[in-house]
Amino acid sequence: MLTLVARRIVRLLVVLAGVSLVTFAILHVSGDPVSLMMPEAPEADRAVLRQSMGFNDALAVQFGRFVWNLARGDFGHSFFHREPALPLVLARMPTTLLLTVLAMGLSLLIAVPIGILSAVRRNSVFDHGATFVVFLGTSMPVFWTGIMLILLFAVQLRVLPVSGWESWAALVLPALTLATFSTPLLLRIVRSSMLDVINLDYVRTARAKGVSEWLVICHHALVNAALPLVTVAGLQFGLALSGAIITETVFAVPGVGRLIVGAIRQLDFPIVQAGVFVVALIVVLVNFAVDMLYIYLNPQIRVR
Amino acid sequence: MKKWALLSSVLFLIVLGAAPIPAHAQAKDTLVVALTSHAPTLDPHMHFERVGILLNINMFDSLLHRNTKLEFEPSLATSWKPLSDTQWEFKLRKGVRFHNGETMGAEDVKYSFERVLDQAKKSPQYGNIRAIKEVRVVNPDTVHIITDKPFPLLLERLVFFPIVPKKHVETVGDQAFGTTSPVGTGPWKFVEWKRDQLIRLEAFDQHWRGRPAFKHLVFRAIPEIATQIAEIKTGGVDIIRNVSADIVPELKTHPQAYISSTPILRVHYAELDMRSAPFDKKLVRQAANYAVDKQTIIQKMMGGLGRQVATTVQPLAFGFDPEVKPYPYDPKKAKELLAQAGYPNGVDVTFHSAFIEFRPVFEAICQMLTEVGIRTTPRMWDPGPAWNKFLQAEGKATNGMYGSWGNYSVFDADAVLHPLYHTEPGGWIGKWYARVEGLDRLIDEGRSSVDQPKRKRVYSQIQQLIREEAPSIFLWTQYDTLAISKKVQYAARGDEWLWLYDAKPGR
Repeated sequence: MLTLVARRIVRLLVVLAGVSLVTFAILHVSGDPVSLMMPEAPEADRAVLRQSMGFNDALAVQFGRFVWNLARGDFGHSFFHREPALPLVLARMPTTLLLTVLAMGLSLLIAVPIGILSAVRRNSVFDHGATFVVFLGTSMPVFWTGIMLILLFAVQLRVLPVSGWESWAALVLPALTLATFSTPLLLRIVRSSMLDVINLDYVRTARAKGVSEWLVICHHALVNAALPLVTVAGLQFGLALSGAIITETVFAVPGVGRLIVGAIRQLDFPIVQAGVFVVALIVVLVNFAVDMLYIYLNPQIRVR
Repeated sequence: MKKWALLSSVLFLIVLGAAPIPAHAQAKDTLVVALTSHAPTLDPHMHFERVGILLNINMFDSLLHRNTKLEFEPSLATSWKPLSDTQWEFKLRKGVRFHNGETMGAEDVKYSFERVLDQAKKSPQYGNIRAIKEVRVVNPDTVHIITDKPFPLLLERLVFFPIVPKKHVETVGDQAFGTTSPVGTGPWKFVEWKRDQLIRLEAFDQHWRGRPAFKHLVFRAIPEIATQIAEIKTGGVDIIRNVSADIVPELKTHPQAYISSTPILRVHYAELDMRSAPFDKKLVRQAANYAVDKQTIIQKMMGGLGRQVATTVQPLAFGFDPEVKPYPYDPKKAKELLAQAGYPNGVDVTFHSAFIEFRPVFEAICQMLTEVGIRTTPRMWDPGPAWNKFLQAEGKATNGMYGSWGNYSVFDADAVLHPLYHTEPGGWIGKWYARVEGLDRLIDEGRSSVDQPKRKRVYSQIQQLIREEAPSIFLWTQYDTLAISKKVQYAARGDEWLWLYDAKPGR
């Protein structure tokens, strides 16, 4: 088990190194950073800035410096806000995390019961209906879903606010939008892993002992079916976080995603770099936590 | 099972605790305006964002104001006159108070200018007023503004030049002034700013004009225009900007909202790259001007919200010459000119644009050019990278570029002619694309005198010259279209300002 944990930690570090490389590259594949920063300045002034910012050094040297600054949490100053980039990103992180966690919670609330029912009543009308909805959910872009939900619940039915972040009611539509994005896969995983375990011997034994059907499904079957769910939910968390970027723009949610979208429009690279890195870091850490949880939950892995 | 249920609920609670969300009810005496974003700062001197200017004008007064007829009107200055070609005298209004109770006076005016002129502060507005050499305090109610050469745009620039309180800014510092404690003399004072969410202002009881009609003013940041439209339909906001032509009919008949639209200082054009073939030839550039059916595009694609122009100088701007007539739509003539220029079988070109809202219009223009033989490939860009592509990297985006120019709300021909056609290194688009013999000299002449009749003659000459030389395809001026809630009476202005002191409760 220890080697397993060690192996996961090594993998975590490799991924982080990759992320920092990609983040570093963002600035350098987008053209000459100095002319982006000073579009109207004479070439002589640009040369001075290029020199002072170290853009004349070898790429490897620049990357080393980038990693060193990154380790100290220094992503430079936002061109637009004229403030350090990292605090700007971190200040908006709780909003994005709240939205993502709400959406994941909602996803699980929808996916688990429907997935179980679909498995129990395999090939019924309910099962086919659920499959159809899953199919629909997977094919709709977040952006479109968001606007459709606004039209339905806010403009037609008038039960929820259109956008903003000032009341709990305003959270419902963005969370629902994000949930339609992450629910389908979770639902399929619940259904198929339930199907895997539902006919195993120990379930049949439980039934034979006269344990009630409800208890069999929820206690005996679900606990074992939950293992793949944990893994996939971890992966989905990353996807939901990326979905939040668009959702936040549609619903005017003041989170990291919207900050990044705005920064891309303004070519505000320090913000883009800090934002991408922090989001990637969270995804990597969540997946690491899921791996640990999986090792902890699954006795087979522990024994091996 | 229990373990991870507990774990996840703990995580959930941590996140909840980190992002408290207060409930807030919208009061009736509140006016809510939607903007696509907020400016980086509330300090009116330290940004040049349209969304920030719209907010700042409601919190800060300038020396001059422009009324709804777009004429100059006294504001913090009650009168002004030139003492010489390079010196102006301004008499200040007496007894004007800042939001913190201090009295506004000549020292504050002097300080405000010096603040922007101080290069160490790196104000993006420096270029607008750099012609000002000195601001002299004559007495507490009089200042003299001295320019280093005749500066005909001085009054134009002073319409948005907010006066800030010297003592207060020096006490709290620039950083706090721009974020937590901005103080001006305007009709509304600052209450709170939640970044990317809302800025809340409150009516200033002691404003010299009297109290504004709405007690609270909120500027919400809503990036997505579809969301803004949904908000105005449900009463979540009261005013939205930049409503596109396809939405207008729907909102015109809506029970909650109405449309207010007016021509503005934004002109559409397609800059032609005169450095290389085929647009190095005058005949080809003229052919391109004959090839585009502007009226049809305005009527069919822009819902009538546009006015054709002869050049890029607009009817609203000083120096406009109505005698210069637009190129008519004449595809036959276009083909003839093209053949005369040595392209009887047509020619292939590429056009670029980053003007996403007008993508269909861009494609229509390219199609019309193609029909006469200027076979045009349209290339659409993201606005950010396009800026780099068009205006740097030696302006490599040949052969043409479709875009618009908003004049910085300056009602003067110079504000469009210099950036689009002057070739000096400090220029904007012209330095890459335009090469019209003698035009630089004329533009310089027009901006270096305060003798208005003489300037008018120079601008007439320029308009005749550029109409003939056709450095661009001249298109139309845009309209600003607001959607406004029926609970508010307000009208769109020709300078795209949201001067909300004029907003009154509706029926």
